[in-house]
Amino acid sequence: MMPCVRGLGLLFLMCVLGGCAAQRAIVSGAPSLQGRDAVVELGETPFFPQEALQCGPAALATVLGAAGVDADPDVLAREVYTPGLGGSLQLELVAAARARGFVPYVIAPEADALFAELLAGRPVLVLQNLRLRTWPAWHYAVVIGVDPSAERVILRSGTERRLEMPAARFLRSWDRGGRWGLVLLEPGQLPALPDQARYFDAVAGVEETGRYEAAARAWEAALAVWPGDPIARFGYATARHLDGQFAAARAGYEALLAEQPGHAAALNNLANLLAKLGCAASARVLAERAVAAAPAGGAIAAAAAETLARLPADATDAGDCAAADARDP
Amino acid sequence: MLNQRFLRVVAALVAVSLGMAGMMHTASASVVGTRAVMLQAERADAVARVQAALDREAVQAQLVAHGVDPVAASERIAALTDEELRYLDGRLAELPAGAGVLEVIGIVFVVLLILELVGVIDIFKTI
Repeated sequence: MMPCVRGLGLLFLMCVLGGCAAQRAIVSGAPSLQGRDAVVELGETPFFPQEALQCGPAALATVLGAAGVDADPDVLAREVYTPGLGGSLQLELVAAARARGFVPYVIAPEADALFAELLAGRPVLVLQNLRLRTWPAWHYAVVIGVDPSAERVILRSGTERRLEMPAARFLRSWDRGGRWGLVLLEPGQLPALPDQARYFDAVAGVEETGRYEAAARAWEAALAVWPGDPIARFGYATARHLDGQFAAARAGYEALLAEQPGHAAALNNLANLLAKLGCAASARVLAERAVAAAPAGGAIAAAAAETLARLPADATDAGDCAAADARDP
Repeated sequence: MLNQRFLRVVAALVAVSLGMAGMMHTASASVVGTRAVMLQAERADAVARVQAALDREAVQAQLVAHGVDPVAASERIAALTDEELRYLDGRLAELPAGAGVLEVIGIVFVVLLILELVGVIDIFKTI
């Protein structure tokens, strides 16, 4: 009987070791510290010892504190902790950061992007998987430093104010967690290694949740890195529009339309703006062009049709409507 | 035919419930947001908009089912974008939900204890 049980134990041990070995193969080409030499430690980063399962609220309070916002993990728990899951979802951390006026930027899944943020003075909220890929144990921590010569990474984690971890071990846990890392950008601030799709996604979320002033500043910053980018230009004008900054919005739409006269969304939005400014006739002309230019069946076509429907055919202009008319090709 | 009428009814219901909840973020429904322009290549049509509204209700219900206070759940839903809601809907329980390190330490202890009990290792006798 006993040897059999002992055999089972050995088998179990081998399974566990086998799991590790299999992971090493997946991790090849994994992030590493090679080629870096600057030691960074963001020692000013506050620390909130984690209570029970609430590493999400604690880690979020840590990065918020580093960004200058006083945050109480207990208050954050109401926003990001889900009792039935025994933890916090990544997207809810993103949403809570956004609700506090930040542009929540999810870094590229590379060690370079993570360490570049540290060098720029921003701690990174990371998701770690402390167990196996097939049997995960998720944990949020905040990377506050790195010492490449000693191959160590420094974290605020759980109940540890300053957890030093061998870099390889940390990077494996980060790799198993899907290499997810979040930094909080002030609107107008850019990531250390800006990735266009990631940054645009973050800013579009800021706009969608109604933070138009922040979105406008973030789009403006995007134009410094990607000058003339049509999405950033449209985003800037739209955010200003929704924020009630009509002059800036109008100039933005008109400049974009001067280069792309068939930009259906810009035509539609400018039509809405002009209608609001009392230029109903000019608005109608633009709305007709928007309907003609929008891809059939899409959201933009639907919005353009709605815009046009609200503008009577015998509409007249009142006020400064000239600029829009002049652009009619 | 029936399908279209059904969609129209659903759309109307959703529009009313959204209006009451005050959850529409866009100031004017006919102003196009930047996301729509970014997604232009994909299909972001009227059905997708109805779907987003349905996701909103579904995710809220799922949060409540997972022990979140209903008022907090509706605030949390309002902070998410349509895309995020679509991503979360029905997937709540499968997604990583970061918790803590205590659990892991417990597991290691249990594994060591099992190995000790079945005689593979021999560390606890020295204590």
